[in-house]
Amino acid sequence: MKIVELDAVSKAYHTGAALDNVSLEIAAGERIVILGPSGCGKTTILRLIAGFIAPDTGSISLGGELVAKDGSIIKPPGQRNLGMVFQDLALWPHLSVKGNIEFGLKAKGLPADARARRIRQVLDLVGMSDFAGRKPAELSGGQQQRVALARSLALEPRVLLMDEPLSSLDQELNVRLRREILRLQETLGFTLLYVTHDRDEAADIATRVITMSRGKVLAK
Amino acid sequence: MTRRLFLAFIVLLLLVVGVLPVLSMLVKSLFVEGHFSLVAYGGLLRSARQWTLMGHSMALSSLVTVLTVTAGVPLGILLGKTDLPLRRFFTVLFVIPLLIPPYIVAVSWSDLLGGGGLLAHLAGAEATGAAAGLFFGLPGCVFVLFCVFLPIPILLTMIFLRTIDPGLEEAGRLVAGWGRIVKGITIPLILPGVLLAGMLVFLLSFGEFSVPNFLRYDVFPVESFTQFSAFYNFKAATAAAVPLAAVTFLLLWLESVFLRERTYQLRPSPGAGFSPLIALGAGRRWLLVSVALAGLVIVIVPLVVLVIQSAGAGAYAEALDRAGDSLLRSLAYAVGGATLLTLLGFCTGYLIQTKALPLWRSVDSWTIFLFALPGTVIGIGLISLWNTPRANLVYSTPVIIILGYLAKYTALTSRISVTQLGRIPPSMEEAAEVAGAGWWRRMAFIVAPLARRGLVAGWLVGYIFSLRDTGITMLVYPAGHETLPVRIFTLMANGSAELIAALCMIMIAATLLPAGILWAILEVMTRKAAR
Repeated sequence: MKIVELDAVSKAYHTGAALDNVSLEIAAGERIVILGPSGCGKTTILRLIAGFIAPDTGSISLGGELVAKDGSIIKPPGQRNLGMVFQDLALWPHLSVKGNIEFGLKAKGLPADARARRIRQVLDLVGMSDFAGRKPAELSGGQQQRVALARSLALEPRVLLMDEPLSSLDQELNVRLRREILRLQETLGFTLLYVTHDRDEAADIATRVITMSRGKVLAK
Repeated sequence: MTRRLFLAFIVLLLLVVGVLPVLSMLVKSLFVEGHFSLVAYGGLLRSARQWTLMGHSMALSSLVTVLTVTAGVPLGILLGKTDLPLRRFFTVLFVIPLLIPPYIVAVSWSDLLGGGGLLAHLAGAEATGAAAGLFFGLPGCVFVLFCVFLPIPILLTMIFLRTIDPGLEEAGRLVAGWGRIVKGITIPLILPGVLLAGMLVFLLSFGEFSVPNFLRYDVFPVESFTQFSAFYNFKAATAAAVPLAAVTFLLLWLESVFLRERTYQLRPSPGAGFSPLIALGAGRRWLLVSVALAGLVIVIVPLVVLVIQSAGAGAYAEALDRAGDSLLRSLAYAVGGATLLTLLGFCTGYLIQTKALPLWRSVDSWTIFLFALPGTVIGIGLISLWNTPRANLVYSTPVIIILGYLAKYTALTSRISVTQLGRIPPSMEEAAEVAGAGWWRRMAFIVAPLARRGLVAGWLVGYIFSLRDTGITMLVYPAGHETLPVRIFTLMANGSAELIAALCMIMIAATLLPAGILWAILEVMTRKAAR
């Protein structure tokens, strides 16, 4: 089943074209890595799928449902059932680990006991159960990474988008967290769309690598 | 959709609060008995007195601008870039005159240098006659406004210094000494800030009427005020206000063409914290003495004069008896004004920062235009729009005063918000959006808490400027609703020097005490954030 589908998508910024007539199909459960140099348009693909920006032309469907087409967003990000781990992680510094995870669950209207259960589950899953009361600034880089993952997974997304999430970590921690991401994906079975410019990372994670250059897909 | 609708409502609110009054004033000045007529402007252009007044205004503003920039930029560099001792103390000290109504500084110097002043008591009236003669007129106005507006170039220089990439200066240090680097690298890099400071000082001096009015130097804004309050000639007052608006518009247009892209959003350079300080070496002691002397003359002497002058028996009791109600009103209006300014400024800042509506740049320009516009012009505009029987609920209540504050000072709180919001990575809000949070939830639980330091700073600035406002309030206050600055200004004509000094001290305390407390809170928040 196709869970993500981009059909002839183009997107330009005032600095020039970011994506040029890109078509892409991703099946449920796949681990896709988009590989390419800085500025090739790989983050733009993630932002289009997330719904932060609309394609100038072309269409985007999620699970067979049209979510954006020709300059307009049909379904906003909050209704797409996606998770996203940002390059800078975007952990809210004023909220605790628990508060970071709980925010989305509250927005979805989950009752308190269900929220508490879900928070416990995802923190167990990423090995951060003892840190629920800590603020992001009180955690190491690797721990912050796990919290960002837990926050995204708590919402049980159908697709997890990851925008160079390990780029700021040292090599050893990078490799260890890759393993954890793979373990989580195999356990939970979500579709993973992972952006990186690191070939080793791509080879390690992907079931399929998409190579990009200057806004075009070179190989799928 | 919710976001766009709400922000469109904010734009509409800004239009009604600030733009419509000015447009209404302009339109009314062009019609006489229902017919288009330029008679008010004809009278204005033919009058030699008006040209003289405009010349006075230009001379006063130009002199104040040249002097403040000439002294303020070196002081800003000394306080922001060197190892001068007590830099933070001096920065706070020099800012004080900007926080209080300008005429209080004039009152203080008048108490010292005037005919019956302290100096005359000490040295005899003959010895101080020349100084008193000089003080009442252009030199006195220039000196007082120099003291009041000096903090603007100092602060802008310090802010722009923090935007310089230290690497640019370090590259210069390999081949030259600090003197050459400051001259050839630092100052050219902060030049947009220096020009912005000059423009702001010029516009604020140009629109200032309380100091020239007190020191008996006729300038253009006084004419508009007099035509309205003394002769109740609304047409003439409006016609006199329009040239002020035109000069403001012209200068801001020049700023938008040449400077806006470089002064629109200021972010500290990532390495600003590691920027090396200039070692002053042997000159450090002499520079410290010079800065301390400047602080003594510009800030301490006027304050001490007011303390001495108000020390007479019963001066404070009489002041509270005669103006206690005005003080309470001032505090209430300033707190209300600051709260609304913070909210409106935050929403406007969010609109500008996120560019959520296509006209975000116009909104930014309107608010800045209204801030630069003389208070008397905004006051006349508000009267022009709201002085109708249907709008009695606005015109005859303190609502009109609060509208004036919102019209004039939203630019300050929105710029503070723009700067603060610019430091929050967009991914913070996006992460909440992808988690399913609607716009209100994102604003309430993510964006506003992350921008809380900006909100507190905005409130503080809104409070100070609402409390010190004289130009708008003087024109629009309804009967029985006069604020403390207005009460002091009216009592200056017949009140004793002791009473006026006591009132000025109360006004200073009402400004500096809450400002000091909030400043301390901001410091704690900043330190916590840095940990």
